[in-house]
Amino acid sequence: MYEGVRSPAVHMPKTLGDLYFASNRFPKALFWAGGTHIMSRPNYYPDKESPDVISLQGIPELRRISRTEKYLEIGSMVTFEMLLRVGRQVLSPLLQKTLENTATKIIRRQITFGGSLATVGVRYALAGTLAALQGEVEVKGNLGPRTETQWLAVERLYDKQGRLLLKGDELITRIRLSFERETFSTFRVGGSVMQHPEECVYLSLSCTYSQSVINNFKMVITFPTSLFLVPYEVGMMMSGTMLPLSSQHIGRAVKSISDEIMVNATETPHPIQLERAKRFIEASLHELNAQSLSSR
Amino acid sequence: MKIKCSIDNKSQLLDVNSNKPLNLILIEESGGTIKLSSCNSHLCGNCIVLLNDEAVLSCLIPAFQLKGARIVTFEGYQKSRFFHDLERAYADTGSQPCPHCFNSKTLIFESLLQRIIKEEGTTSRDEEIDEYAIVKELSLNTCPCLDAQEVIAIYNAAAVYRRRRRVRRS
Repeated sequence: MYEGVRSPAVHMPKTLGDLYFASNRFPKALFWAGGTHIMSRPNYYPDKESPDVISLQGIPELRRISRTEKYLEIGSMVTFEMLLRVGRQVLSPLLQKTLENTATKIIRRQITFGGSLATVGVRYALAGTLAALQGEVEVKGNLGPRTETQWLAVERLYDKQGRLLLKGDELITRIRLSFERETFSTFRVGGSVMQHPEECVYLSLSCTYSQSVINNFKMVITFPTSLFLVPYEVGMMMSGTMLPLSSQHIGRAVKSISDEIMVNATETPHPIQLERAKRFIEASLHELNAQSLSSR
Repeated sequence: MKIKCSIDNKSQLLDVNSNKPLNLILIEESGGTIKLSSCNSHLCGNCIVLLNDEAVLSCLIPAFQLKGARIVTFEGYQKSRFFHDLERAYADTGSQPCPHCFNSKTLIFESLLQRIIKEEGTTSRDEEIDEYAIVKELSLNTCPCLDAQEVIAIYNAAAVYRRRRRVRRS
C-alpha cells in the first residue's frame, strides 16, 4: 500500500535565523504550524508527492503572547487554548467567543493562530473575527538577510472569495489587536466546517456606539470555501445611524449584503448557506437593537 | 525517519515515514492489538490516545512530532488504577459508551478528570468545567450512543471517585 510513498524531510529550526536559512535552502517546503488543517485533509497520507516540511514548533519567538500599551501581540504559533488560558483578562469578548466556539479543547490545544489564518482553500472563523476587530498581522517576506517585514490589516490577506494572497515565501509571525473595546459584538456560526464546509457560515460583528449613534460598524461574513466578505457599503450606511435600527433599515442591510454575496461568491452559494447568512445578519442587528435599548 | 518514543510504557524505536499519522503507526506497529479507527481524517473521534498525558486525536499527529513522546493508548490506560474510577462510574450510572466508541470516550472522560485534579491542585478557578464544556468535549466523538444527561452523570460519578483518590493520597 505504501510502495513509492515519499517520506518528506522535516526541518525543525530553533530560531528565526535558522528558519530563514531553512526556507531559503528548501523553498518548496511547507510551513507546518499545528497541522490540524493539513492532517485533516482527506487522503493527506499516503501521498507520493508529499513536500518537505519546515516545522515552526521549535521557535520560541513565535509562541509568545505580549502586551504593549496599546496592543495585544500574539505569536503565530500560539494555540487557541494557550490564549484562552493566559489571556482571558485581556481578550475581546468577540475573540473569546470565536475561540471557544472553534472545535473542542482537545483540538484547540493544537490549532495555532498563524495556521488558522494561512490555510489554503478553507477560511476559518478566526480570520473574520480578527478582521472585524481590525486586527493586523506581521508578515515576513523574502526570508533571509533582506527580510521584509510589514504589518497588514487581516482583511488584506484574502480576496473577496477568501483565497489567501500571501506568497509561498511569506510567513505570518505575529498578530496584533488593539485594546480598545467594542460596545457591541456578536459571533455566529452555522453548520460544521469539517463535515459540510459548503453549508457553513460565520458572521463576526463588532460595533461601537455612543449616545445611541453608531460610530464604527464592522461585519465580516465568511463562507469557508467561497467567500470572505467585508460589506463596506453597509458599514458606511450604519455609521452615524441612530439606534435602535428600524425594520426598513435592517431589511436594506440584509438585501445589500445578500446582493454582494451573490456577486462575490466563487460558486453559487448553497441555499441553506445563503439563508443562514441572511438570518444571522438580521438576528445580529436585532441583538444590537436590544442591547442599545437595554443600556439606556 | 527513526523515532524513539514510548508506547504504553514500552520504549520503542520506530522507523516510519515522517508524515505518517499516529493512528496508522499504532495500528500497524502493534500488529492489531491496539484497536483504533483509521477514519482517513474524517474526524470521527475514534482514535483518541494520550500523548504526554493529554488527549489528542491520533489521526492529526504526524510521526515527526513523536520524538521522545509518551503515548498511552486505551489498552495501556486500562491497566492503570485511574481506569477503575471510570469503570465504577459506568457501573453506578448504569450507562456506558457502546463498544464501538468505548475506548475513545473513556479517554476523553479521563482527560476531563485529569483537568479537575490539575485545577484543584493549582487552585486555578478561571477554568471551571461546566456541564456544557463536558458535553461539548465528548461531542468530539461523533457516536451518538450517550445522551448529554448520561455524559454528565458519568463524569460526576467518576469525579467523586477521583477526588476521593486524591484525598486519600494527600
